Amino acid sequence: MDFIWEGVQEAVHLLLHQNAELRHILWVTLHVGVFSTVLAALIGLPLGLTFGLGRFRGRRVGLAFLNAGLGLPPVVVGLIVALFLFRGAPLGGLELIYTVNGIILAQTILALPVVAAFTATAVAAVPRGLISQAEALGASRPRVAALALREARVGVIGALIAAFGSAVSEVGAVVLVGGNIHGQTQTLASAVLTEVSAGEYGTAIALGIILLGLIVVCGGLLTVLQQRGTDDEGAPWFRWRAS
Amino acid sequence: MVPLEGVVSAALTAAGLTVDRGRRRVLDGVDLELRRGEVTVLLGPNGAGKSTLLAAISGQVPLAGGRVAVDGRVAAAAQTAAFAGRSVRANVELALAWWGAARAERRDRAAAALEELGIAALAERRARTLSGGEARRVHLARVLAVRPDVLLLDEPFAGLDPSAREDILFDLATLFRSGGGDDCAGLAGRATGSDAAGRAATCVVVHDRAEAWALADRVLVLLDGRIVAAGLPAEVLDHPPTPEVARFLGFTGELRDGDALVLARRGQVTLDPAGPYAGTVERRLPTEDGVRLEVALPGGRLECLAPRDAPVVGAAVRLRLDGAVRFRL
Repeated sequence: MDFIWEGVQEAVHLLLHQNAELRHILWVTLHVGVFSTVLAALIGLPLGLTFGLGRFRGRRVGLAFLNAGLGLPPVVVGLIVALFLFRGAPLGGLELIYTVNGIILAQTILALPVVAAFTATAVAAVPRGLISQAEALGASRPRVAALALREARVGVIGALIAAFGSAVSEVGAVVLVGGNIHGQTQTLASAVLTEVSAGEYGTAIALGIILLGLIVVCGGLLTVLQQRGTDDEGAPWFRWRAS
Repeated sequence: MVPLEGVVSAALTAAGLTVDRGRRRVLDGVDLELRRGEVTVLLGPNGAGKSTLLAAISGQVPLAGGRVAVDGRVAAAAQTAAFAGRSVRANVELALAWWGAARAERRDRAAAALEELGIAALAERRARTLSGGEARRVHLARVLAVRPDVLLLDEPFAGLDPSAREDILFDLATLFRSGGGDDCAGLAGRATGSDAAGRAATCVVVHDRAEAWALADRVLVLLDGRIVAAGLPAEVLDHPPTPEVARFLGFTGELRDGDALVLARRGQVTLDPAGPYAGTVERRLPTEDGVRLEVALPGGRLECLAPRDAPVVGAAVRLRLDGAVRFRL
């Protein structure tokens, strides 16, 4: 169990002493997390709104696909993306293989169903009467979308937290598409993998702690946004303090 | 329909409106005209197509036939008051935003609408914590705030307890007629009426004749997807055109008198020892204002209201009719 204590000490050491290597890994990880979440949101929110609020043929089938997408195996997605990105492959010309942008592409694909499926579920639970009242008063589509997202923000931001968390924690697709190149495409999660393979448990634990810290901080910031101005006081039996 | 003096042109004209739900025809060739500054009340039993008619003229359901011409914009208040999880004021401002009102004026217009409905004090309350009556007022405030050319209200009093219902009915009736005293109520007062309710062509679906009397400049009766009566309240409600309409409008007494069918409301039947109609009390139901009697007569049956010391079941009585309607058989 000394490993853990050593790891904590090493984590503190790594963080306190300016370490260019760590800073780069941290930067790559954040870069991947933020960009893939933003891209997944740009595509996934409209998709989730369409499937959550729309009334059209094929909606249920689409929802079933989105929900199935929640279980996409990262390694398989990584493999397929890599196969498309290899030199000579259909998308080889984009020169994304073994780059951070390639990782972002793979993580966006993995995060997309998370954002879209949870957004669809969340906005579908917004009272139908509120949406139709907005439409009856001539609300434009963007306004109806904004209303639904705002009313469903607990679920929608929950989806973004889940997308960000999985994007920064994932290793399978990161390694396959990014190559886990030290100093270039290594993320915190894939660096942990490397350190463990090399028997450097202390460093691995240190990196793990930093990754957890990153998730807690970013997740916390989003949680603040999520819970701001919500109505509900919670069910009485879950209320810890009388307000 | 009788042209009304001082009324501006129609804000909404619908012709031959037909709506199908599956194989069922819910609306069948409905013609309708809503005029500026005028309240049209739509009466009809459950399932007659009232809500569908509102949805059809506001473009919320596809038409199987007919057309709607609107001069201006239509605002419809749904039957259920659903709010965003925000304050009352924010909800009214949100409605103005949906409508497209400029940001700068939303706050003042929302405040004015809340004031008009007597709920300015609720502005900062969470909309979802309101009581039924308060919620209904906020719901009305947000459609009045947008100042539409055509205002459609679908059963604004549904689901309220009687006292809240009466309060809101009274306030809404006053609001529609504000600017004029009792003696110039209606159209004369309407011309100078309040900003929010004044110039709109309003159509209100109601359930109840009392609500129709309180609000209407004109009454339409819808039965089985067709307009079966239209006109001024006194015309339609006191002189229904057919026995079918009369029965729906509360003419509960029915009597064959020679070659005529006589239909009478309870208030039009009076116990009178010198009355022309003789019958026997068949049922007797105490109410808060006396008793309700059901009297069997040779040609049918009449209902009337009587004092508490009215004759008992089985007693022979004589009745007089004041203002019943007669139809040739």
